[in-house]
Amino acid sequence: MTIDPSIGPDKARELFRAELADVRTDAELQALRTRWVGRKGSWVSAFMEALATATPEQKKAFGRGANELKKEVEAAIAEREAALAATRRPADAVDITLPGRPPRLGHRHPLSLIRDEVGAIFTRLGYQVLEGPEIEDDYHNFEALNMPEEHPARDMQDTFYLQTPLMPAAHAATAEAIALRTPALRPPQPLTLLRTHTSAMQIRHMEMNAPPVRLVAIGPVYRKDALDLTHTPMFHQVEGLVVGKGVTLADLKGTLAAMAEALFGPGTGVRFRPSFFPYTEPSAEVDIQCIKCKGAGCAMCKRTGWIEILGSGMVHPAVFEAVGYDPNEVTGFAFGMGVERVALLKWGVEDIRLFYENDLRFLEQFGL
Amino acid sequence: MKVLLSWIREFVDVPESPEDIGKLLSVRGLALEGLEPHGDDVVMDFDVTANRPDCLSMIGIAREIATAYNRPLRSEGDGFSHRHTAATAKAVALRTSTDGLPITIEAPDLCPRYAGAVADVTVGPSPQWLQDRLTACGIRSISNVVDITNYVLLELGQPMHAFDLAKLGGGAIVVRRAKPGESIKTLDGKLRSLSPGMLVIADAARAQAIGGVMGGADSEVTAATTRIVFEAAYFNPSSVRATSKALGLKTDASTRFERGMDLTAPARAMARACALLEQIGAGKATGTIVDVFPQPPTPRPVGLERASISGLLGMEVPDAGVERILRSLGFDVKSASAKATAGHAGWSITAPAWRVDIKRPVDLIEEVGRHHGFEHLPSTFPGVQQAPAASDPRIVRDRRVRTALLGMGFSEAITFAFIEATAAEPFLAGLDPIALANPLSEKFAVMRPSLLPGLIDAVSHNRRHGRRDVQLLEIGTRFSPRGETRGAAFAWTGLATADHWSGARREVDFFDLKGVIEQLAAVSLVAVTFADADQAYLVKGRSAKIAVGGTTVGVFGLLDGAVAARRDLPPGDAVYIAEINLDALTAAASLETLRAAPLPRYPWVVRDISILVDDTLSAGAVRGTIRSAAPGFLIDVREFDRYQGKGIPDGKVSLSFRLTFQSFERTLTDEEVQAGMQHIIDALTRDLQAMQR
Ligand SMILES: [Zn+2]
Repeated sequence: MTIDPSIGPDKARELFRAELADVRTDAELQALRTRWVGRKGSWVSAFMEALATATPEQKKAFGRGANELKKEVEAAIAEREAALAATRRPADAVDITLPGRPPRLGHRHPLSLIRDEVGAIFTRLGYQVLEGPEIEDDYHNFEALNMPEEHPARDMQDTFYLQTPLMPAAHAATAEAIALRTPALRPPQPLTLLRTHTSAMQIRHMEMNAPPVRLVAIGPVYRKDALDLTHTPMFHQVEGLVVGKGVTLADLKGTLAAMAEALFGPGTGVRFRPSFFPYTEPSAEVDIQCIKCKGAGCAMCKRTGWIEILGSGMVHPAVFEAVGYDPNEVTGFAFGMGVERVALLKWGVEDIRLFYENDLRFLEQFGL
Repeated sequence: MKVLLSWIREFVDVPESPEDIGKLLSVRGLALEGLEPHGDDVVMDFDVTANRPDCLSMIGIAREIATAYNRPLRSEGDGFSHRHTAATAKAVALRTSTDGLPITIEAPDLCPRYAGAVADVTVGPSPQWLQDRLTACGIRSISNVVDITNYVLLELGQPMHAFDLAKLGGGAIVVRRAKPGESIKTLDGKLRSLSPGMLVIADAARAQAIGGVMGGADSEVTAATTRIVFEAAYFNPSSVRATSKALGLKTDASTRFERGMDLTAPARAMARACALLEQIGAGKATGTIVDVFPQPPTPRPVGLERASISGLLGMEVPDAGVERILRSLGFDVKSASAKATAGHAGWSITAPAWRVDIKRPVDLIEEVGRHHGFEHLPSTFPGVQQAPAASDPRIVRDRRVRTALLGMGFSEAITFAFIEATAAEPFLAGLDPIALANPLSEKFAVMRPSLLPGLIDAVSHNRRHGRRDVQLLEIGTRFSPRGETRGAAFAWTGLATADHWSGARREVDFFDLKGVIEQLAAVSLVAVTFADADQAYLVKGRSAKIAVGGTTVGVFGLLDGAVAARRDLPPGDAVYIAEINLDALTAAASLETLRAAPLPRYPWVVRDISILVDDTLSAGAVRGTIRSAAPGFLIDVREFDRYQGKGIPDGKVSLSFRLTFQSFERTLTDEEVQAGMQHIIDALTRDLQAMQR
């Protein structure tokens, strides 16, 4: 409002406070200063002029108020000036809203993340983590796992065979070492196939090591499945094996429950369904509580509330006999889980082929 | 296995809903795959595991349901069907003899039991209810006689066959191996030549059926047939499996026989078929059932120790529960004396003939466990008896390499280990490819000899999907006739540094990749040397091989344009690739334990030197001369400038080096550094004709 000392110092003070509250910049503060305490034509100078011509009564009425107003205005402006100065950016300031210059950083493959996570879980539970050969002989992949030639279960895992059997020096040496340790078992065989499961690793380990055993084997496996939304001819498996005195199916349940909680979150329940695998007896397929609906039933779990994640069971006595363990002395459990399946479930990936396309737009969604 | 709820309910009282039955059976070992209404009935589709051929039947599934619900199973004979009375079933007396139809088993190893019965028939359509039941279970109705064989197959699991007796030459049945050159036209109309190992059902002259696989067309039951022979037999599983596989012929019969059938079932099935024949008015058996079963095996009991049940399962099952479950499943259960089971109380169990999967005590424990309910298993943990052994050292090594490469901007790829033969070809290094005998397709024909083909394809995929800059790594197995090796490969195309508003752009070049390798060597604590590479898939003069202590551990460089073009990379793309044999790197690395060096206590002295040398001379050679001429206290040589052009004579290059001198024993004097420098300059001048600038 126009400068009018007749409203009196109290009203003027209110007006000043309101105007000060709106000040945001240095320029606005300068304008405010000129308007209120400028040498000429300001509120304070107007009050002073009015005082000069005032009657003694008038002087008494607002002389003191006018002086206090002046003091307050000057103090408040100085204070605001300091506050504004404190927030002012220096002349050589950079525009911090421009994008940063990120050092190049790659992203982990989701399957590799799961491999490591599962490896870490079982390392924590006191397992050793192993990797084994991907080209195998028939004995380690099938026969020693209670799947002799002509066993119908061989159909369950359609196998890739090599055109020419191989006997590389390293394989021959391992075979010899096994024969030395357990001479009764069998002669060395040439490599003929791509392993259909990491279970082959169980046999290799037990042949060379006395019980107790506590291991997980992780790696690629191969089955002759055409590519579609849920199948690839190569996929990754985690194999677990525990052998010792008094190992039970209940131990397997506790172990897998711990793994499910670690992988899919606390409270993820597991369910055992009796099943059949030639190398375990009893055998069980293991479901986890549907991670989407928490067991209530949804499209993802086909309204059952459960999702199958792995096959497992108690090691078949015939497998122990094949590696020279005494099934009357030790028992054991084993399980095999698809890494892709875990990744599909955990991250809601809808097409398994994405894991093998290596499209950066996909890979970059995952961390390190 | 598709079963009809009403059919199941003839054997066991289960008023429960099909959903409830499915839910319970799914946690007892028979997963429910599907549920479909069929009129006012329901078809339940159970997934039967390969070890349970006995469950490929109504009676088998009904037995599991009866055990799961703890209900009695109606025995065969009284409750077969509400559509015919027990009286009819019993009207067909089970007279068996070896008179009548002459049956000869010449191959008892492949066919230990063969039953046949002759019947007069009037061939026509089956009654509607029978047709409905077959259709519901996925079997086409053909004629009353054939339908009966299929009905018995579904109900009891025993495959049957019907021959037209008039077509059987000599009116006889001979079970024998096929003769050389013998062939048969099967029911599906195909002429099949048989090999001598295969089992046939023949008449006096020739094969009329492939035992356990499929009947012959010549003796097929037709509308004109008036007299038939029903067959119910047991065929050797591996023989049926081999024959079915060799002929590429899978039938309802062969899938059952190859898993193992019930040796006791043929007689029951035959009685059932004859009863049905009369019941639906299709005919009547004449004379007796001829059942040739020369050597019925003696069932062998399996001992089951009580303690072994909780010992394996980790949960207690009361004795009454053990006995109830096993008896309900058809097992003969006898308490064994303490003596017989070596001090442990337990049982002596004899499995019914249909349970071909029961061989050991663990098989019995599984039966007890699954029907007691895995849901009662507690969650416990295996005890630890010793410290866990170390993990595969490759895991830690691979992780270190992966982490370093991720930190340098490479994203991790995982590619298929089998690749196209043509993609593998440039990388074979003179060795044979590991080819698959039965690849999924030509795209997956050989095992990769190198990680690079897969990685190049992954780069190509990204380039073709609009990505300009691609950095990928893969750590995985490579395959050769010498065995498997673990490698790390990486590829880089596009910009060397991320596109940014502030700066100049630069394409990746040889030295970006070389820098990555130098960093990898540094974190792997190995010293690497480089030499020109000679790989057809790399551009000559833009590639190098990497060595550690004289062993080549890898190569890197610019991908050859022709190879790139074959993998559909956009023309003009510069793709730099590298591959390191991690196993060779590990083997070549020094095994000495790392010892930390103390920090130097005396100051260093830096001297720069610029020289002119022939431009054919490598920086490495100059550096080598400097190092060999330098005093022991030269601790670092670094190229900081390389210049050709204005002011430099043609054929020459200006190289600038920064030399750092430092002693761990004392402060160096100006004089000794100067003397060292002079020694170096003299050597450069003398040996390399260098001129100091
Ligand atoms: Zn759900």
